[in-house]
Amino acid sequence: MLRTTLATVAALALGTSAAFAHVSLQLKDAPVGSTYRAIFQVPHGCEGKPTNLVRVQIPEGVIAVKPQPKAGWTLEKIKGTYAKSYDYYGTPTGEGVKEVVWSGGNLGDDEYDEFVLRVYLTKDLKAGETLHFPVVQECPDGVAERWIEIPAEGQSDDDLELPAPGVKLLEAASGH
Amino acid sequence: MRDQLGRSCIQVFLAGILWCCLAAAAMAHASLTGVVPADGAVVSVPPKTLSLSFSEPVSPLVLRLILPDGQARTLESFVLGDRTLEISAPGDLAAGTHVLAWRVVSEDGHPVAGSTIFSIGAPSSAPQVDREAIDWPVRAELWLSRIAIYIGLFFGIGGLFAVRWLIPGGADGLPIIRAATLLGMVATTLSLGLQGLDALGAPLSNLMDRTAWRAGLDTSFGLTVMVLLAAFLLAIITSSRSLVVSRAASLAALVAGSGALALSGHASSAAPQWLMRPAVFVHGLTIAVWIGALPPLAYALRQGGDLGRQALGCFSRLIPFCVAALTLAGLLLALVQVEEFGALFSTAYGNVLLAKMALLAALFLVVVINRWVFTKPVERGEGDATRRLGRAVVVETMIVLAVFAVAATWRFTPPPRAMALAAAQPASIHIHSDKAMAEVTFTPGRAGPVEVSAIILAPDFSPFTPKEVTFVLSNPKSGIEPMRRRAALQADGSWRASDVVVPLAGQWRLRVDILISDFELVRLQDDVEIAP
Ligand SMILES: [Cu+2]
Repeated sequence: MLRTTLATVAALALGTSAAFAHVSLQLKDAPVGSTYRAIFQVPHGCEGKPTNLVRVQIPEGVIAVKPQPKAGWTLEKIKGTYAKSYDYYGTPTGEGVKEVVWSGGNLGDDEYDEFVLRVYLTKDLKAGETLHFPVVQECPDGVAERWIEIPAEGQSDDDLELPAPGVKLLEAASGH
Repeated sequence: MRDQLGRSCIQVFLAGILWCCLAAAAMAHASLTGVVPADGAVVSVPPKTLSLSFSEPVSPLVLRLILPDGQARTLESFVLGDRTLEISAPGDLAAGTHVLAWRVVSEDGHPVAGSTIFSIGAPSSAPQVDREAIDWPVRAELWLSRIAIYIGLFFGIGGLFAVRWLIPGGADGLPIIRAATLLGMVATTLSLGLQGLDALGAPLSNLMDRTAWRAGLDTSFGLTVMVLLAAFLLAIITSSRSLVVSRAASLAALVAGSGALALSGHASSAAPQWLMRPAVFVHGLTIAVWIGALPPLAYALRQGGDLGRQALGCFSRLIPFCVAALTLAGLLLALVQVEEFGALFSTAYGNVLLAKMALLAALFLVVVINRWVFTKPVERGEGDATRRLGRAVVVETMIVLAVFAVAATWRFTPPPRAMALAAAQPASIHIHSDKAMAEVTFTPGRAGPVEVSAIILAPDFSPFTPKEVTFVLSNPKSGIEPMRRRAALQADGSWRASDVVVPLAGQWRLRVDILISDFELVRLQDDVEIAP
């Protein structure tokens, strides 16, 4: 039993650098009405298989999406119309990127990588809430990991099997 | 066990504290990456170790093995190496389906759970659970009434037919024949109420209740009772009429009474009905002709003289054909009902059939002795032989009564055919939410290897094809953690998983994970009852 305890403790001690099981966002909070660097951390593949594709859905209220290209990956931006027009520093914006796909890569199950977007969080988003970015990892043989569940009222990420990565929204920075 | 749980809790607690001390708050859920024996595998020899591999380091909280008989055993002996948990399997594993239910804690102290299944030899179905309690008084009354109906039909109606058509010298037996008919009539009437009590599951004290009688009338037995009563009535009121009327009436009563048997019961409901119903009819009719002739024959023999000899001659010419038809019909019925030889020994129905066949063997022995040892001397007019034959006929009658008593227990034993049919019934549930609904069917709806299929519909009943469908089965009461099986889309638009083994009977929780699009997942959940 001591061994198990030690193993657990050791695993925990290494935790800071060890891989996280979920796809998660590195920066946990951000004010609305500001630019946000969404850094998606991909800790492992699907059931031991390497990741070939990462697909991120852009939630409503998030505009001016600019993905960061990655060597060895093909970048695709799927555009569409927003539910409404958002204000982007005085410019009304009604359409833009709604989905970003990095494909053709090969990220081993025992490797770690980050996928980055620069986005603008509009003031229409509610401070105090958590904004979720559903992410799908696709691997060979039709296997996939889908981090797409968004907690319902009264639920937390822990209640979900496949929680989508989220960022806590803060009040807009004053004096801007 | 308690001790281990306690330690595990401390570990979780320690882990929690440590985690808080570390700057980064990372979420980490371990996921299962490998199992030996593989999930759903059938192995020929019991495994010595069971192993679980995870995507990251874990430590076990609870490891339980659910055995084929439904008992759970906690597994305490394991070795944790790297990310793999090597568990020593108990040495005395029996053949059948086992469930390894695991609950581990991953690095963040978050418990993760699941179940995997493996079978030794072949997948097993679950042991029978206790059936509902049997109301013995009602059952005993039903049994007695059934015997009395047989006596009335075979000795009463059959006896009248014999006196009128075959053995005119047996008219001394008429009082007994009338008594038997009357007994049959009373028992038939009473059995309607008893049948109702049995159908309602009500106690004997409710026999005066109208609802019991109404319920009895509504069963398939209701029609049998009506026709039987008509046959008994006809036999009683015409028993003392002129020969012509009585002859016609006794024939009509015989046909109606035998026909009544074919209107209900296990055998009559078996397929193919065009064959089974006539078989029941012929079986009943030939029994009545043969058995009904026995008491009149005994009376005629006691009288002795020409009358007795005539009667015996008539009886021994006709009865062999009767018995041949009787045996043929009986064999046919038994073949259809029992289906396979082993069921003779393994089912109550088969056991009753065996007992009946043993009695029939004894009966036929007496018949053969009568036919070849006594008949010739009696026909030659030897008085000693006549008396001995008379006694032998009484013995025959006794054995026949025993056969009735045994056959009457069939009322309570479903034939193997019906049991196999009931077990093969699928179990279905309909799960509805505001995003999707699923019509899920387990075939068969009993424990063991099953095929799970689902039809997925939009809430407005329009069909749509999701990207993926996964069935997740768990049984919280038995400690079986979720087992997942991916379904495959079939040509007919349904989703099917055929590699599912439901290890235990009872209530299972089924979750259907429907991936509508890349980013939209709907989970439907409900309970489904799996039969033993
Ligand atoms: Cu519905």
